[in-house]
Amino acid sequence: MPTDGDVGRHGLPDHLYEIGKQLTMAKFGLFLGCNMPAIRPDVERAMRLALPAVGVELVDLEGCTCCPAFGTFPSADENASLAVSAWNLSVAEEKGLDAIVQCGSCYSSLRLARAKLLHDEERKKIVNELLKGAGKKYDGKSSVRHVIDVLYNDVGPQKISSAVKKPLKGINAVIQYPCHTRFPNEVLGFDNPGRPRMLQELVEALGAKVESYSRELQCCGGAGGFARVAYQDAVKFAKKKFDAIKRETHPDLIIVNCITCLMHTEKVQKDLNKGNDELSIPVFDYAQILALCLGFDPKEVASISVIPKDKVIEKIVGAA
Amino acid sequence: MIDLTKSNKNLWKEIMEEECGDIRHCFNCGTCVAGCPASEADNPLLIRRLVRMVLLGLEDKLLDDGTPWMCVTCTACEEMCPMGVKPFEVGLAIRRWQSRKDETYIPPAVCEVFETGHTQPVEKSKELRKSVGLDEVPPTVAKFPDLLKKFQKMLKETDIVKNNDYMFKE
Repeated sequence: MPTDGDVGRHGLPDHLYEIGKQLTMAKFGLFLGCNMPAIRPDVERAMRLALPAVGVELVDLEGCTCCPAFGTFPSADENASLAVSAWNLSVAEEKGLDAIVQCGSCYSSLRLARAKLLHDEERKKIVNELLKGAGKKYDGKSSVRHVIDVLYNDVGPQKISSAVKKPLKGINAVIQYPCHTRFPNEVLGFDNPGRPRMLQELVEALGAKVESYSRELQCCGGAGGFARVAYQDAVKFAKKKFDAIKRETHPDLIIVNCITCLMHTEKVQKDLNKGNDELSIPVFDYAQILALCLGFDPKEVASISVIPKDKVIEKIVGAA
Repeated sequence: MIDLTKSNKNLWKEIMEEECGDIRHCFNCGTCVAGCPASEADNPLLIRRLVRMVLLGLEDKLLDDGTPWMCVTCTACEEMCPMGVKPFEVGLAIRRWQSRKDETYIPPAVCEVFETGHTQPVEKSKELRKSVGLDEVPPTVAKFPDLLKKFQKMLKETDIVKNNDYMFKE
C-alpha cells in the first residue's frame, strides 16, 4: 500500500482522484487502543459519529489489545512486542483493511512495528510462528493511518468545510501537534515534520482562526516515562508551552489529535493552577470539535473533561 | 577515573538488536539531547551519555541507570541523529537489556497487558461508556475472553513470559 508522496499515494491523475474521492467512502478498521475506550470514551463516540458523516466508514477490529505501548513489551522483549503488534495488525488484515488510529503512541508503535516486520524476514518468521499458536497470521498488507492523515488526504478540508453545520465563527484555536505522527518521518510521516500544516488546515476548515505560537511544535511531555518518572519536571516542561500560549495568543480552545496530548494538557493546566483558574483553556480532540460542528450532541461527544468546556461548547452550538 | 580494564567490551553486542542503528557511528554531537523533552529533567535523560556507556562497556553503571525509562517516546532524536544511530531504539534496547539482567526493571504494565490485553481498566468503564451512547464493553479483547486466552497462549511462548512466569497471571 503506497503511503508516501502525492502521486504514490493514489497513483492517479489528480482530477480523477478527486472525483473518486467524492464517490467512494473510505473504509478503515477502528483501532481503539486503551486510554480512549477506558478513560475518554467521548472521543471514541465522536470518532464513530463524525468520521462516517464526512465519508470515512469505520469497521470494528474485534479482539485488538494494547498496541503495545512503548512502556510495556517494547521495553521488555522485542519478539513479544512485535507479536502483539502483529496480533493487532492481523485483525485489520483479516478484514482487508488498513487501521485508523487516534492515539499518537498507538500510531507510532504499530507503524514502527510494521516497518520492522517488513524489513526483517527473519523477525517476521519468528513473529508468525508465535501468531500461529493463536491461529493468526500477519503478511504485512494492512497498514496504519492516523486520523489527521485520513481526514486531510482521503477526505480533504474542502469536503469537511462543506459538511459543517455549526462553524467555529469567532473562535480562536491553538493547536498541539502529536509528536508520534511526525518522527521518524521516513516510517510514519504524512505531513512535513518540521512544518506540519494538516491539522491547522483541518481546524481552519471548521471556521476557526488558528493562532500560531513559538512553542507550537513542542511535545506536550505527557507520553512515555517522563511524566510517570519525573512528573514535576514534565509539568515544568509543559509550563514553557503554556507560558508561550498565554503570552502570544488568545485561545478559546486547544485542539489536539492524540489521547495523551488531550489528557496531559488538561491535567497539567489543573496542576499549574494550584487553586486558581488562571489557566483554563478547554482542550478538544479534533474528532470532538468536528462532531460538534457537524451538529452531534455535546453530551455524547464532549462530555468528559478536567478543564470545563461548557462555555465554549455553548458558543459553538448555541444556547440550548 | 573509569577503570576500563574492568569494562565489558562486548556490552554493545549484548544490548543492540537488529532494530538499532550502528551505535559505533555516534560521535557524541548531542543532537539527540538537544531535542529531547526528558533532557530537561533535574536528573536528565542524556541519550548520548548512555550510548557512551554502552560503547565503553560500563555494565554496572548502566544497570543502575534509570534514565532510559524517562523517554517520552516522541522519537525526535531518531529524526535528528545525523549518523543514523536511532537513539530512540537504543533507549528501548537498553530498557530490554536491563529487564533481562534484573527483573525488577520489568514494568508492571507488561503484566497488565498479559492479564487483560490492555494498560487501562477497559472493563471498568461500563457506566462511562454507556453515558456517551457507546456499548458498555468495547469490541476489543475485553469483549472476547476466548481471544484473550489465545493472546496469552501466544505470549507464553515468548522469553519474557517464560523466564518470569511467576509475574504473569491468567
